[in-house]
This record gives sequence, C-alpha cells and structure tokens, in this order.
Amino acid sequence: MKPRFSSSAVRRLTWCGALLVSAGSLAAQPSFTAPPPSTAPVEDASVRRLAYLGRIDEALAWRAGLVRPDAPSGIGLAEVAAKLARREDAALCSERVIELMKTPSGDMFWMFPVTCISYLGRDQLSAAAQAAIREAWRTYFPLRGFTENHWVMYYTSLYLMAQLWPDEPGERWFNGKSSEEITEEARGFLLHWMELATTIGQGEYDCTHYIGEYAIPMLFLATWAKDPAMRLRGRMMLDYLMADFAVETLNGLYVGSHARTDDVSVIEKWNALSSFFAWLFLGNTPPPASYGGWGIYFAAVARHYELPEVIYRIGTDRVGAYTHFERKRTRHRWRNSDVRNAPVFKTTFIGPDYAVGSDQGGVLQPIQQHSWDVTWAVPDPRGVHNTMFSVQPFYGAHELMMYFTEMPDSMPAVVTFQGKPTYIAEDKLLGGSPYEQIFQQDDAVISLTDIPEGTNHRLVNGFFSKDLARLEEDASGWIFAQGGRTYLAYRPLAPYEWRPLERGGKRLRSPHGRNGTILQAAAESEFGGWEEFKAAIRALPLQIRLEPVPRVAFTTLRGRKVECAYGAPPRVDGRVVDREKEWKLFAGPYLNAEVGSGILTLTHGRLKRVLDFNTLTITDSVAP
Amino acid sequence: MRLPPRIPGLAALLLAAAAAAPAAAPRHDLFACVNLRAHQVMGNTRVPVKSGLYVSSDRETFTHTGHPHIRVFTVAPDPVDRSTVWVALLDGVVRARERGATWRTMTGWEMQEPRAIVFDPGDPERIYAGLPDGIAVSGDRGQTWRRMNEGIRRAYTETLTVDRTRPGRLLAGTELGIYLSEDGARSWRLVQTTDKVTYDLQQSPHDPAQFFAVTSADGALRSDDGGRTWQRVPGVPAAQTLHACTYDPATPGRLAYCGWGAGVQVSEDGGRTWTDRTAGLPNRDIWTVRADPDFPARLYAAPYYQPLHVSDDFGRTWRPAAFGEAVVYDIVFIPRA
Repeated sequence: MKPRFSSSAVRRLTWCGALLVSAGSLAAQPSFTAPPPSTAPVEDASVRRLAYLGRIDEALAWRAGLVRPDAPSGIGLAEVAAKLARREDAALCSERVIELMKTPSGDMFWMFPVTCISYLGRDQLSAAAQAAIREAWRTYFPLRGFTENHWVMYYTSLYLMAQLWPDEPGERWFNGKSSEEITEEARGFLLHWMELATTIGQGEYDCTHYIGEYAIPMLFLATWAKDPAMRLRGRMMLDYLMADFAVETLNGLYVGSHARTDDVSVIEKWNALSSFFAWLFLGNTPPPASYGGWGIYFAAVARHYELPEVIYRIGTDRVGAYTHFERKRTRHRWRNSDVRNAPVFKTTFIGPDYAVGSDQGGVLQPIQQHSWDVTWAVPDPRGVHNTMFSVQPFYGAHELMMYFTEMPDSMPAVVTFQGKPTYIAEDKLLGGSPYEQIFQQDDAVISLTDIPEGTNHRLVNGFFSKDLARLEEDASGWIFAQGGRTYLAYRPLAPYEWRPLERGGKRLRSPHGRNGTILQAAAESEFGGWEEFKAAIRALPLQIRLEPVPRVAFTTLRGRKVECAYGAPPRVDGRVVDREKEWKLFAGPYLNAEVGSGILTLTHGRLKRVLDFNTLTITDSVAP
Repeated sequence: MRLPPRIPGLAALLLAAAAAAPAAAPRHDLFACVNLRAHQVMGNTRVPVKSGLYVSSDRETFTHTGHPHIRVFTVAPDPVDRSTVWVALLDGVVRARERGATWRTMTGWEMQEPRAIVFDPGDPERIYAGLPDGIAVSGDRGQTWRRMNEGIRRAYTETLTVDRTRPGRLLAGTELGIYLSEDGARSWRLVQTTDKVTYDLQQSPHDPAQFFAVTSADGALRSDDGGRTWQRVPGVPAAQTLHACTYDPATPGRLAYCGWGAGVQVSEDGGRTWTDRTAGLPNRDIWTVRADPDFPARLYAAPYYQPLHVSDDFGRTWRPAAFGEAVVYDIVFIPRA
C-alpha cells in the first residue's frame, strides 16, 4: 500500500505561504489521502460537472475548516476566500479582513487574493472591512515584479479593483494614478500579453507551479470583468492554458519540458500545483497537499467556469500514442542576447504507459528550466519518482544577466537564498545549460553537451529513480531500466560513476565536458519480455564520437535514423530538420495553431473548438 | 578661531573637526536608495524594516520617505520644482513630491526597471530614462514617453549622463559600449565599445570635457574631449565588475571608483595612479561610492549587505554611517528646496 502522503508532499504544505497544517487537517483532504482516482474518462457530461463541483466543494470545505474562531490570528486570506466562497461567517471574515489589511505584504501575491476576497465579499463583508481593503490599496505599494506571471497577477488585480472602484482620483491609489488610468494601463498590458502568448507562445511556458499564476487571474477576468470583451478574453485564455496543459499530461501529471519547475516536482512529477488543475478538471490524479496552496483561490471561483469537453477529452484519452509539437518563447532577455524572445521548440510523445518530452536545449529560462524527461505511468503517483532524465548542471551570471537586470556578481549567491538553494550545486537536477543541445524523435531523445574547460560543474547528471523496477548496466554501454510498464534504455556517452541522492535513487555523474545521453523508451507490451527488449536495443545501429565535438548516429526502435552533431542541425533519415521553419505554435492530433495566427484549433474525435483571438470568437462544432 | 597653543591635543581635534565640517549648512540633502532585505524574494515581504528611499539633511539621521520598496535604483532632482524628486525603481519612473513622500508612477506597463533617470539642464521639460530594453524620453515632464534608442545595438542601458554644458547632448552606458547623442537622443553613435555593461558615467565637476566611466569587463575609461573618444585608464583591472565612480567636487584630480571585489580605489592625480582605500570597510564588494559636495573629503561607500560607511578623509578611514544589512543602490545629493 502506498503511503497516504509522502514526506516531500508534507514539505510542500508550506509552499508559497500556505498554512502549516497539522496531520489532522491533512486527513480532512479526502482526495489527497484517498486511493487514487480512476484515469478512465467520465462519459456523462452531467456526471462530470457534478464531480467537478464536488471537488471544488471539497477544497473549499477543507480550507474553510481550518478556521478556528477561537484563534483568529490563524485565519489568513485563503481561509477568508474559502469562507466567502461558501458564504459562511461573514462577520468573522469581516473582522479578520480588517486586521489583515493593517499589515499588507506580498506584492502581487497579496493583490490577487485580496481581489478575490473583494469580489466574493461584495455582498458579505461589512462596510468597515470593505473600507479597510480600500484603504490598503491607497497606502500599500505592491511591487509590479519582474516576470510575466508577476505582471499578469498585478495587472489583472488592478484592472478588477479599478473596476470595483471606478472614477476615483490618483490620491486614492497607491501609485497615484486614477481609476481610469489604471484601467487603461492594465488593459494594455493584458492585451499585449495575450497577443504574445497566442502568436509566438507563452514566455513562462508549461510551468508545473506557475500555471496557477496565469490560470487564476484568467479565471478572475472570465468571471468578474464587466467589459464583455475582457471577460471573453479571460475565458478564452483559460481555455488556452488548460488545453496547453491537458495535451501534455499523462494521467494528470505534467510531463516533458517545463520553463519552470522545482527541485521537488522535477523528480516527483505529481507533486505540483499543476496536479491540482488535473485533479479539478480531469479528475484523474490526486490533488497535491493543501490543494496546491494557491489552488484555493481558483477553487473559490471555479464554479463560474466549465472546462470544454474537447479539452477534457484531450486530457484523458490515453488509449493511443501521439506526438505533439509546440513553439514557445523565452521570457524577455535583457542582456547577452540579440533577440528579446528566443523561440523554444518542444516535442512531446505521449502514450498510455509513458511520455517523453523535450525542448531543444540551451538556456531558455533562468534557474528552473527542465529540458527533457521520460515520465512513466504509475497507479498512484504520490511519493513516486516516476521519471528519468539527464541535466548539465550549469549555473552562472551569464544566464542570470540575460534574464534579470541585477548586478552580475551577487546574483548566483542571492538566487540560492531566494528559494532556489540548489542553484549552484553540482548535484542539482534542475536548470538549462548553454552547452546542451537536444533532439527528440518519437520516444527517443539525444542530448549532446560540449562544456568548455573552466566551466563550473563540467559534467552531466543523470537521474535514476528509487522507484525503478529494474536497473542493469549492460556490457554494451547501455543502462537498461524499467519503470512501471515502461522499458528504458539510457546510454551515457562518456564514463560515469554513481552517487546516492538524498531523496532516494542514484545520480549518474559523468564528469566529462564532451558528453551526452541517448534515451529510448518503449512499452513493456511491445516485447516478449525484458531480455527481448535489451536485445532489440543492443541491435540498434549506433555510432558515437566525442571528438572534436559530440556526434551520434542512432537508429531508433521506431526505425528512424537520427544524426545529431553538437553545433549542427539534426538530421532524420538524411533530412536536415529546420526547427525555425517546421515548428508551428501547436501541431499534433489535438492542438493546432500557426505562428502569428492568434487562432488555436482544438480537436478530439468529432469535437472541435476554435479559439480566435483576432475576432474574439469561440466556435464549437461536432462532426456528424 | 584662535586655538590655545598650550593644548595641542585639543587643537588637533578642532582642526580635524573643521576639516570634516562644511563651511556652512549642507546645501544638499542626501538621498539613499536602500534595500534592507537583500535576500528578500518577490512576494514575500513581511519583514519589519522599510526599504526604499531614505533622506538625510544633517548626514546623521536618515528618514524613510515614500513607500517601502526593495528595488529603488536611483533618484534625480527636479530642475524646476525643488520640492520634487524623480525616482527610478522596479515599477518604473516615479515622481515623488514633498521631497520623496508622495508618489505618482509616471510610466506605464511598457517601461520597467529603469536604472537611470536624468533631466536635461538645458531643457527642464525633458527627461531621459535608461531601461533594460533601451532609452525612453519624455518631453513633457513625464506625462508621455517614447523610445529613443535608434542606433544602439543591445539597448540595455544602465547609466545616462547629460552634458551640463550643451542641451541635448548625453552619453549612455549600455551593454556593449558607450553611446553619444548630440540631438536629444534622436540618434546615437557608438563612441566606445565594451565587452559588457558600462555601469556608471560621470562628468567632471571641474572640467566639463572630462568624463569617467566604469564597466563590467573593461575596467575604467576616460574621455577628455566631451565623450567623443575614450581611453582605458591604466592600473584599473578589467576582471572585476566596477559599479560606480565619483569625482571629488572640492579637489580637482581626485576621484574614486568601486566594484565587486574591487573595494574602493582613489586617485589623487586624475586617474594616473590609484590607491586602495578599502581598509576599514567590512568587505571589498562595494555597491556604490559617492563624494559629498558639501563636506570636503567626505566619501560614502556601500559595502554589499553591510551598513553604509562614510569617510571624512576620502577613504583613509571609515566608519558606519547608517543602516544595517543593506544594499545601497545609489546615493544622490539633491539641492535643498
């Protein structure tokens, strides 16, 4: 029997300011502690809707249940939001809001919870509580931040609060601008961000946690914006974000390459805020502890949104395998780059038993990038490290200067203080490298590294999970492994050694600059057994050279001859792959969009939905 | 003042005090841009200290003014309204009336993280802001802005200096060099290439044709022809990131620079030779260094994550002046109202 919750899950309870809760309150999170849900799609739409509403109620009931009237100091903004969403204890909430507004803090992470409470409490909070909120928005100067998730939260909150308090002069606002000026500025940014995201891709794409920082504001706009155009934009962007998420999930787990994830989620794939959204919308995985922390603010408003069925089907249909392609962009680059937003080319293969996903390598995001992995399906993902990948543990002022405006020398140390303690560690498993180049064909990945002499951590780390069912080092040079019903063949390109990992499993440490990894995944069901799989891999044509630069010619299990050389475009069956020309914004069986189009087409079976951001139209159709 | 000859110890003390004291009351207020939460992550700011803009009229007490803020980069005087200062901070450009107390953000979402802000003395309506993605100019005291960095490759701009002798003439320290505009930022030309960012540019208070710059990878640079041509300053290492430089307004030929690992370096001969004046500071990672225009030989230095320090002998000795564990982004002396 699986543990009800893992130690890492418990650690995550404090994530992003979530209350430290007792084991007793953990037990009050039924879906977090219960056996895992079925991954089979629910066919009946009304049953799906009821289950969805039930999950919303579960999350809100838990958070509201943390409130102890005899200990009001423990009541935070999240508890107030849950209470107001359930229309409970308005007087207690009002008293607490008055207290909380005396010491505002948290910048945009304060703004959107207070926006949520302000709207939920319009007809519940006392006049004094509403006045306290109003005064806080005059006296407290929340920082706008420096990344797109900050700005989306900041401007969504300002947009809605200026709507709540229209026609007020600058003296009534912390930034000295009038309600009209705030509305105009916020609208300008939101439209700009939506246009960027729907034409050249999201900047902080496919984030295991920051998905919430985008989805929550969009839900607020979809629910509370008075302007019907902005309301529709919010809804369409929420569809967009959820479709983008659903198509790259395996039983609710966000797979493959991420702009941002963290040290926990990168190996325990389930343990992320994204799993809250999978639980809520797809119902196919348990929610993380505390419903992901910020998830409460989504739950508080979630009844106003219904996931389109086509997205639900895309997220839950894992009968066959498919390959999905995406183009995203880096976040804004300030230095060390001639382009403001470099393109990101993603490939994700998803089947019933496993998924393989990647980007092209390089520094696409600072600090928290995750470039490629395999994720295999497990009956219960809680506490399980169901993934395999390698990473070049690069760090340095170069990437930080590219994406931040700070002075260079103090940045690496400061990053380690600011919630990213592994940033400069040799054994880290997180982050991109300018010296890594990746190509994926179907369910095979080739990663090549050419790390200059003198670089920090001139090595490659491979992650080998504690949850592998098999692990064998073969005389051929391949390392064979099995996770769940997935066979894995991992080929390090240079000599290596094993090091234990604090959270279980092993680190393959390969201390060589010219290096790389080949990974081929396959389903157990494709072979007559373990030995047959190993023999098949050994028989695959493979040429490896490391000098003068790493170079691999590999014929995959699917019969494709892939040739990769560091510094050159990859070739497949002799054809040069030109990502810049070939990668669309979305391409695959389910999501399709041209670069620059502003139009996303979602299809599954007979269902089709077109989101057209140019004309602000949603077109649904069902094939006869 | 006649000193009693029979108590030489007291005489020495009084002389020292006289050297440190201004001839009259300070003509400038000292504004410090301070982060007292250097390891503070965005969105988690419940710390009972106020970062942001501090002002001192007497150089002894520092009073917080305006909103708390962990990323206030620099401040500039308003050439018309002496009760107003202009602040460059993470959120944009802020007009701060009542000597910094009452804020209005003057920029929109398109402009973020300005690192520099200067007025044109010849055209007090005109404001220049250095941004991570270029240079923005306002011709109406901040009401509207437009980008004006044509001709600049890699437009990250850390520092701007307006030639006080010629309206519309200014220099920009960018990622890959120093650019000169002689038409109010309408066009720019590269006058000095650098490998990385130029972090500070100063015009000599004694000779308006002389400029001094410090960089991230090219050491220090000097121009003697109004910024048209530049020369590497000998004896200044290129391996360290140099953050700031300052001329001593009272003593021609005396200037200082600082940087990460570089400590405080002082020249008494216009930059021909340099003396390390870091002894007495808690570390060699110095964020900024500024000379006080009202106190001869007074120098301020901001060691990373340490108190602001002051010297009354241009760096020979130091003492803590203010703040605790602080990052002081800039110190600016602004004429009193």
